Amino acid sequence: MTTLKQYVTLTVALAFGLLTLLGLLFVPALADLLLGWGTLLAALALLFGVLNLFFVHFRRLFAGNVYSTVLVLSMIVVFLLAVTDSLGLTTSGADGAFWWVQAPIEAALAALLAFFLLFAAVRLLQRRPDRWSLIFLLTLIVILLSQSPLPSAAASAVSWLANLLTVVFAGAGMRGLLIGVALGAVTIAVRLLIGMERPYNR
Amino acid sequence: MNVGAALLTLVIFITVTILLVLLSRRLASGVEVGLRPLPSYLALKSQIGRAVENGRRVHFAVGRASLLGLASPTSLASLTALNSLARDGCASGVPPLVAVGEGSLLPAAQDSLRAGYRRADRADEFSLASVQFVAPESAPFAYAAGVTDLMVQQRVGSNLMLGRFGSELALMSEAAVRANTEQVIGSDDPLALSVGAAVTDHLIIGEELLAAHAYLEGRPSQVAAIQLQDMARLVIVILILLAALAGIIAG
Repeated sequence: MTTLKQYVTLTVALAFGLLTLLGLLFVPALADLLLGWGTLLAALALLFGVLNLFFVHFRRLFAGNVYSTVLVLSMIVVFLLAVTDSLGLTTSGADGAFWWVQAPIEAALAALLAFFLLFAAVRLLQRRPDRWSLIFLLTLIVILLSQSPLPSAAASAVSWLANLLTVVFAGAGMRGLLIGVALGAVTIAVRLLIGMERPYNR
Repeated sequence: MNVGAALLTLVIFITVTILLVLLSRRLASGVEVGLRPLPSYLALKSQIGRAVENGRRVHFAVGRASLLGLASPTSLASLTALNSLARDGCASGVPPLVAVGEGSLLPAAQDSLRAGYRRADRADEFSLASVQFVAPESAPFAYAAGVTDLMVQQRVGSNLMLGRFGSELALMSEAAVRANTEQVIGSDDPLALSVGAAVTDHLIIGEELLAAHAYLEGRPSQVAAIQLQDMARLVIVILILLAALAGIIAG
């Protein structure tokens, strides 16, 4: 049964959705205003997210979880650095923590990706030894070889094959995928705008 | 946006709306339409049953796409899947453990889970810790590291990752493979899909993810949207073929 609260949320959602659409099409200033309000709400949600992260790990800290202890201490230290930065007691303290700690760790994780993908491809062959898995592995090898230093005769052949695979086959597949996603996104958007889909009224 | 483009957008919006309403009414009047079977959705639905059997929770990652951004339909589809799992899981006493990688997804995911508990008459059992914010959208590897830790610490029985991910999906899926955990992966990102194809047979590809509403809830308006997409796809395919033919004839 539809309650009064559900009618109110539906009305507000429909009104703001249609106003934003009309604003984007004909009155950019109105769209900017509404999207600005949305951005403010998203920023608040991010703040709640950070608090959620802190409290979840703060609770785990008392259970003796080492990772949670490191996370909570890191959050407190970075927060204090941001405060001392704003008071002028330190310079670029929070930025320093990012550039000297988080960025190198993220770069190291990114560097590991190639190995994870290679292991995944080998495991795929073990799990499902069919022609599709073989094509997957061969494509991976060709692309890796095309990025490696090779004798010039082999390099041009491998480069031609890699180009064929990425531009023609992968490119065509990706465009098909994106067209499908775009069509799905349009129908979801229209259903939301006319109230057929109501994720806010569960 | 110039007036011509704005009017064209408005015409498309009105046309899609009219077609959606007409197709929905046709389906609501009892006309049967079969959806192409997607085994990955069957695998998704069976995860709660497995969780009840093995006593281990289902982990659900909703991805990193903001509800305010262009990829919001992907996140909405992911939230629909979460809604379905939360409904069954909360009723069976095995609510999913949710990890979000973007601020605006946190209240939406909490709302899904809260609704699941409410429907099961267990509203008092809802815990904010069941939905965890792991990292902001701008830190994909921090998100991957946090999700990996969550999966290992909580000893989850199934790993479901539906939404917008990038190459960091490889780190999370590797952790699930090491823990011998069954996985269902769905994304609209080609990079994440290529990683997903290597690690699981239960892959939900692009538009299939956006069809989550129709497959998991199956209301006439949701199935009508799938029909409309198929019609539009046919028109686009014909236009592409005509354009290619015209290009060949023009030399």
